[in-house]
Amino acid sequence: MFERWMNATTEEQKLLTFLQLFFLLFTAFGFFYFGVEHWVIDHWLDSFQSRIPFYTAVIGLPLTLAMFFTTHRAVRWPYTIFMAVTIGVGLIGALFHLWYNAADYGSSIFTISGFIEGFTEPYRPVLAALAHVNVGAVGIVVGLTIEDA
Amino acid sequence: MIPALRSAPSPTARRIEWLRVVMMFLLLMSWAMYPIDLLIVGHWLDSFESLIPFILTIPGLFFTVWVFFIDRSTTWVRTGFIATMWAAIFVGFLGGYYHWVWNMNDVDGVRWYWSYAMSEFHGYRPVLAAMAYSYMGITGLASIYRAR
Repeated sequence: MFERWMNATTEEQKLLTFLQLFFLLFTAFGFFYFGVEHWVIDHWLDSFQSRIPFYTAVIGLPLTLAMFFTTHRAVRWPYTIFMAVTIGVGLIGALFHLWYNAADYGSSIFTISGFIEGFTEPYRPVLAALAHVNVGAVGIVVGLTIEDA
Repeated sequence: MIPALRSAPSPTARRIEWLRVVMMFLLLMSWAMYPIDLLIVGHWLDSFESLIPFILTIPGLFFTVWVFFIDRSTTWVRTGFIATMWAAIFVGFLGGYYHWVWNMNDVDGVRWYWSYAMSEFHGYRPVLAAMAYSYMGITGLASIYRAR
């Protein structure tokens, strides 16, 4: 992205690459920050699913950082596909947080009271999991708007 | 943003508008969902400061909807939108700071040594969650940057 920004010849190209760089920085910061944050709040447990946000960060951060230096298809497509995966991780994570919260109270999320209980008595925050959807959405739009060289 | 996307004159301009539309959509969702979330978690209390996020939502949602669907060029709309985004950045940082300080006040007073401060950073009031408003403000400013 840096190279594209420096080589941009028209005002439109400069603006496009500037915005892409700006939002790529958001994505990189998101992956780095969520990795640290999940560690701090003790999300790393014995279960596989508790480690998924870390695996997401460990793959997503290097891919995003690589995008700063090259937008070659060999990097761009894995990056873009992984952003779609990150969106999925966020959605499924929120659903499972809701499910586990409701299960703690012995209710089901398929009942209105169970759904509300799972959402409002959150040992596991439901909307926080959706932050991965935000990071993935910001990342994927950068990947999809890059012009072919 | 939507009218600009529909009338983008070149492929590069269309890519710029797509970026803006997606970012503005995320911003719109945030303005719509955060107040509902705050209401559910019981943020609406008797104190004025607990109402600040709800008050900010009024211009935030109004200007974001207007810029997203209708018009981003008229001066008063741009000024209102940009001012609201700066307010969101300010409110986010200030909210995070006060959440932290009040967490400390609830326990043993304000003391800035590492283990205590970090412990209260993850206290009753979430510090980072408040800063989501700063993130929204920055996203809004980036989306409207050089967009006329």
